[in-house]
Amino acid sequence: MRYKVLTVDDSKTVRIIVKKAFKPFDVEIFEAANGVEGLAVAAKETPDLILLDITMPVMDGVEMLTKLKSDPALKAIPVIMLTAEGGRDNVLKIAKIGVRDYLVKPFKEEVLIEKCSRVIDLKPVNEGPAKAKSILDPADILIVEDKPAIIQQIQEGLKHTPWRIKGVATQGEAIDCATKATPDLIVVSLSLPEDAAFTFFRMLRTNLKTKYTPVFALVVKTEVAQQQQAQTMGFSAIITKPIEMSELESKAAKAMNLDTSQRYYAINGDLMVMRLPEICSPAVLAEAATYLKPKFAEAVDAGFNKVVIDIHQVKSLHMGIIKLLFQAMQTCRDLAMHFVLVGNPQIISECKGFEDTRGWTFCDSIDDAKNTLSKAPVAVPQMAGASA
Amino acid sequence: MHLFTRNLADLMPATAEITEALIREYINRAVTDVFKTMVGREPSFSTPADTPQQSQSLTPPDRPQVVGTVGFLGDVNGLVYLHLDLAFARLCTCHLLGMTEQELDEAGDEVINDAIGEMTNMTVGSFKNGLCDAGYPCKLTIPSILRGTNFSIEPISSAVRHVYFFDCAEHRVVADILMKSDDQG
Repeated sequence: MRYKVLTVDDSKTVRIIVKKAFKPFDVEIFEAANGVEGLAVAAKETPDLILLDITMPVMDGVEMLTKLKSDPALKAIPVIMLTAEGGRDNVLKIAKIGVRDYLVKPFKEEVLIEKCSRVIDLKPVNEGPAKAKSILDPADILIVEDKPAIIQQIQEGLKHTPWRIKGVATQGEAIDCATKATPDLIVVSLSLPEDAAFTFFRMLRTNLKTKYTPVFALVVKTEVAQQQQAQTMGFSAIITKPIEMSELESKAAKAMNLDTSQRYYAINGDLMVMRLPEICSPAVLAEAATYLKPKFAEAVDAGFNKVVIDIHQVKSLHMGIIKLLFQAMQTCRDLAMHFVLVGNPQIISECKGFEDTRGWTFCDSIDDAKNTLSKAPVAVPQMAGASA
Repeated sequence: MHLFTRNLADLMPATAEITEALIREYINRAVTDVFKTMVGREPSFSTPADTPQQSQSLTPPDRPQVVGTVGFLGDVNGLVYLHLDLAFARLCTCHLLGMTEQELDEAGDEVINDAIGEMTNMTVGSFKNGLCDAGYPCKLTIPSILRGTNFSIEPISSAVRHVYFFDCAEHRVVADILMKSDDQG
């Protein structure tokens, strides 16, 4: 929803400054040069917020505010006074009529936006379709944790990613870091003294810059009450200690809205490779499944019709993996793509133990798979097992 | 030093005397706040070598000036003229509105007048808010603009004048305050 803001000021300069301040946000600005015009625009557009000056010709701001508040159709519109009239008595008199806030000129644009954001949910404007950030792009993660060993553990566990991980021990340091350069993700330990994590979270959510930054709660697995409190408050995710790094990585990528498809799908020469990692947790399988159909369709669209389903890194087979592999094979058949499986001795042996996978055949390596696919018949192989 | 007291001042314990020091403090704070906040430049209070005479121009005679005027009316009455040379007025306007010099040329003088009018409004507003809080409620008038070169403003005999100079980014800003003398005790 695009918010409407009405600025009522006889100074064109102020109206331009207001428009300039709101430019980065998805807001439609309406202008009026005095109270009469202001009431007319308010009645026509029903704005979500009015910024109102006091000293104006024709009808001043106090009169406009009084009329606005006595009109049943308009009285609910929140008003922020933006005026050079800042004497205590004046402010008190106007506050009694009913205003949401009061900003005395001169004013900084950031302060105006900050006050307005308390009334309407300002969202940055999307200038065209932004290129999705991928798992291969750098991102900044702030860890707020008073135990250095945990910070070190996270830094070590995620060192294979391009993410920059900064650890701080106190709420004060965290506020400094978060406000200077907004991180892409914040992970805060709920064990910080004096409920500092919750205070910090509230502060992040009231700050326009960090309002939408994903915040994870880091908590000991058995601290159920704290986990419930974090969920109620709206933390983006709960990460339990001891930390399962693949879970943290997966949730972090999801929270930062990263395109993680490159983890599982890549183009290699004239074929597409679908690759599963060593440990296939339910989160990993769900993530791979999300991209499966779109990635296969994208490959076909780009002229690729050969697929290598590579599970040679997988340590152990389970039903989740088998289900995903069936889904991949069915997608290949639907899209008329040729495919082969690449496995390791352990996986091949485990496949013999399941009725549904007993007939699958595997190549030993990608090169072997490429050779097999180069000899592939024009027709798509029938699936009892893989089409090698 | 000029000393102002209100007729009712003695009856209102919350009311402070409007002394020259108070006026200087309020205008200094107002000018500093407005130029620092709105155009990112911090003016410094400056004491001229000679106190200007009543009929003397407050600004160099060869520099075109843009002068904003805003009055305050209430328990204390007066008028403030804020003098800026044209070059500085243009610079302030560009900064306020995020415009280039070329865009400003295309927009015309009206834009400069409006911007300087608003800066004067903010300055006088801030100044008079100090007076209000000191126990002298008053309201602002709508800004107006004077433009010209080599001119002087002569107050009527019943007005008391205070002139303050500020140096700001190699430019001089002059705040010329005229207060009605019947506001004095």
